[in-house]
Amino acid sequence: MSATPNRRPFDAGRAAYLTLNALLLAFLLLPIAIVLVFALNPTPYISFPPVGVSLRWFEKFFGSAEFMNALWLSLWVASVVLVLSIVIGAACALALSRGNLPGRAALTAFFMSPLMVPAILTGLALFQAYLLSGIGRPVWGLIAAHTLVAVPYVIRTTLAVLHNFDRRIEEAAAVLGASPVRVFFEVTLPLIRPGVFAGGVFAFIVSFDQFPVSLFLVVPKGETLPVVLFNYMKFDLDGAIAAASMVSILLALSVVLVLERLIGLKAYVKL
Amino acid sequence: MTSAAIKLDQVTKTFDGRVMAVDAVTLDIAAGEFFSLLGPSGCGKTTSLRMIAGFEHPDSGRVHVGGKDITDLPVHRRDMGMVFQSYALFPHRTVAENVAFGLRMREVPKPEIERRVAAALAQVALTGFETRKPGQLSGGQQQRVALARALVVEPPVLLCDEPLGALDRKLRQQMQFELKELQKRLGVTLVFVTHDQEEALAMSDRIAVMNGGKVEQVGTPTEIYERPRTRFVADFIGEINILDEGGQLRALRPEKIRLVAAEGARLSGTVETSNYLGGSTLLRVQPTTGPSMLVRETHAGARASRAPGDLVGLTWNDSDAVALES
Amino acid sequence: MISRRKALRAGAGLAALATVGAPSILHAQTKTLKITTWGGKWGEVMKATVLPAFEKEFKCTVSADQAFPFLPKLQVSSKNDPIYDVLHANSNEQWNAVVEGLVMDKITAKEVPNIADVYPYAVSDKIVGVTIFTSAIGLGYRTDKGLTKPTSWKDLADPKLAGSRGGYLIPVNSLGQAHLMMLGKVYGKGLTDLDAAYKALEALKPIKLVDFTGQMEKMLLSGEVSMGVIHDSGVYRYEGPNMQPVDFASPSEGVLALEQVLNVTPGSKVKELAFGYIDYMLRPDVQKLLAEAVWYSPANKKVKLAAKYDAKLLTTPEKVAALIQPDWKWYNARREDIDARVTKILKG
Repeated sequence: MSATPNRRPFDAGRAAYLTLNALLLAFLLLPIAIVLVFALNPTPYISFPPVGVSLRWFEKFFGSAEFMNALWLSLWVASVVLVLSIVIGAACALALSRGNLPGRAALTAFFMSPLMVPAILTGLALFQAYLLSGIGRPVWGLIAAHTLVAVPYVIRTTLAVLHNFDRRIEEAAAVLGASPVRVFFEVTLPLIRPGVFAGGVFAFIVSFDQFPVSLFLVVPKGETLPVVLFNYMKFDLDGAIAAASMVSILLALSVVLVLERLIGLKAYVKL
Repeated sequence: MTSAAIKLDQVTKTFDGRVMAVDAVTLDIAAGEFFSLLGPSGCGKTTSLRMIAGFEHPDSGRVHVGGKDITDLPVHRRDMGMVFQSYALFPHRTVAENVAFGLRMREVPKPEIERRVAAALAQVALTGFETRKPGQLSGGQQQRVALARALVVEPPVLLCDEPLGALDRKLRQQMQFELKELQKRLGVTLVFVTHDQEEALAMSDRIAVMNGGKVEQVGTPTEIYERPRTRFVADFIGEINILDEGGQLRALRPEKIRLVAAEGARLSGTVETSNYLGGSTLLRVQPTTGPSMLVRETHAGARASRAPGDLVGLTWNDSDAVALES
Repeated sequence: MISRRKALRAGAGLAALATVGAPSILHAQTKTLKITTWGGKWGEVMKATVLPAFEKEFKCTVSADQAFPFLPKLQVSSKNDPIYDVLHANSNEQWNAVVEGLVMDKITAKEVPNIADVYPYAVSDKIVGVTIFTSAIGLGYRTDKGLTKPTSWKDLADPKLAGSRGGYLIPVNSLGQAHLMMLGKVYGKGLTDLDAAYKALEALKPIKLVDFTGQMEKMLLSGEVSMGVIHDSGVYRYEGPNMQPVDFASPSEGVLALEQVLNVTPGSKVKELAFGYIDYMLRPDVQKLLAEAVWYSPANKKVKLAAKYDAKLLTTPEKVAALIQPDWKWYNARREDIDARVTKILKG
């Protein structure tokens, strides 16, 4: 008998796995591709096949004071929300995981609750509360609302890191002469930072894309981009919407990339 | 390098108000001594060590180091070195930064830090690894970094919590020699927690065998091995035969028994099993009456002379059968 | 990298935001009129021309909310200190609002003098508040698909149009709701003959459904549908060199009115100003400007539009007579049942 190389048996599981991955990828990327086609197509409606390539919708988007004001407002709000939610979220997570607090499970559930309540109700409830208490709808009220729904993301990601945290590392620092405050800044903070910043990325995107919570809390001339886009869509459903979407996607992507550059996001994508 | 004596005085620690982790333990550890806390898991050895370090506060009793009561002193003011089983290196810092950490906390001037870090790394044969991160090192190398990090501050006391537990056997033996040699050279007082009796015997000046939160016996390795005071100590260290002579329990090591002709021997019986161990052979002998006996037959060159089924006689010196406290 | 120029612009944006938070403090001396208004081209003209001129003339500030949904915001705010002084909405929403006491029942020429000049439909018993403009809901159709210009609402049921006719998700779109009532009139005993309407709706399947009129406009422009229910403005506003082969047809049974209605909130602290604003919006020059910008038919009889607008919009008593105004009070009272029923019919 001559030795023939063994043929690798057909692996149905592996084939299914690859197919599923391909489908998922297509499911995620296809809408973006369609938006891009729509954004570059010169007609004010989706025509297929595209009749040409034009930047007129991008020009319209960047040339519109309304869109630009909304874009800057959204970016500004999202940046403040990013900072606030990492500070609050990290502090909450540390307290929850380290604090020996009574009723810890209940407290954790409480801090996560903004994720369970439909965001539209959160927005409506805050709107009502602001109006009743005479605060009105200042921009910090909007920021507070966004922070409320963004903080749970930071708590989640930070708790995940804290869960696997070897506390002996902190003890080692203490034995070497580091006071509790120094232990926190020299060891604890650098080590939970990946989780905190991963949560921060979520927080930024949650705020930047936030529609339901913003819906009731924005004021005339102080509308965030998603709200402006929604209202624009009711009257002019043209390529400017698609252009705005592409800009949003690219902005969100660049935030992720910048954070990755600054702090090495890769290290903690395993959440 | 200075070293300091450690004294635990009637130290007690309970957890959750119920479990008695450490029960009125009193220990006197001399300056410059290599002292091991030996026992099974849950015996209170690690809790005792953590009370010396300051991670746990005793419910009652005092801890003295270098003649000073440090019971209420926070960890970072105790000026000790510690090596953990998991090494507990700072994963976000380089090897050099890890080693420099304690010096930085002590606000040692920068040039001196650099000099001492280099010296400490040289001492553990890790020169050239300064810029690596701990994740890029092998287990043995990480262990050495942990050692260098603990020793660079020249602490009078070095605490080791199962520091070699995660290493493989060969490396572990090598590190045992190195650690012992280093300790003698530096003269530091070293408290070593382990559940490995061989390790404790090989390295220690003295050993405290702990069980159920209490100290069973303190002594040199020879004392602990040759003259176990309690049945627990005798059982925990090496192989042992427990003889019951009219209610008085005696401990007899297998290697103290000699194989002789069956007739006229103290005991005679049949070899049940024979385990060849390289340097020796461990026989299980079933006497005509009583429990089976372990006998170690050492052989310089020749193989074991007895096989299962052989009839053998056993004999030993009375002085080798150590009376145990009941 | 963010350029210096952009960074400066962001800074300017922040400064602007700071003022947004506290308009009432900054303009403590001048009154503020809080209104709702549409976006799109309408919004552009309002913000660029109409509102600045109004502010100047009435020495006030106008805070115009273009962000939907208006009614829930009004519901949540206190009735004594409502979030809006003037609500701009379609007629059906005004009826929802009046039932809850959020807007006034009736506005007359006493408060708003220009009401004396409006067509009767603008203040008819089917209207709460004042209609300032109306559109005609009829049929939009492609002229390049070999279709004859529809003359009846029944033409939408032509079997040739299976799958290429367009309608609305009735629960969320008032054009869909009006069309449902029209089906009752065309196929049954009248606008309130729901049984006939349901039957006729069933016969329109398969039909492409959208929730915004804007989407219907785009489907006609792209040829995705060949005929659909739409308001005249949604077809005419695309006139120009790039005009697609799409036209608007007024069925012989009549067109449905899609009114732009203004109303004042009872709790408004600046009622005078609110009435003044409505009166201003009914002025012939303002009406002409907006009508020609978005192809809405003005409610004021005295408005003279340019010929091309005059030819197509409802600008004479005779043309206005074709308008059919649905009874929204009646409809809104049955809305839940209707929603459940039509959802079942249109499912699948």
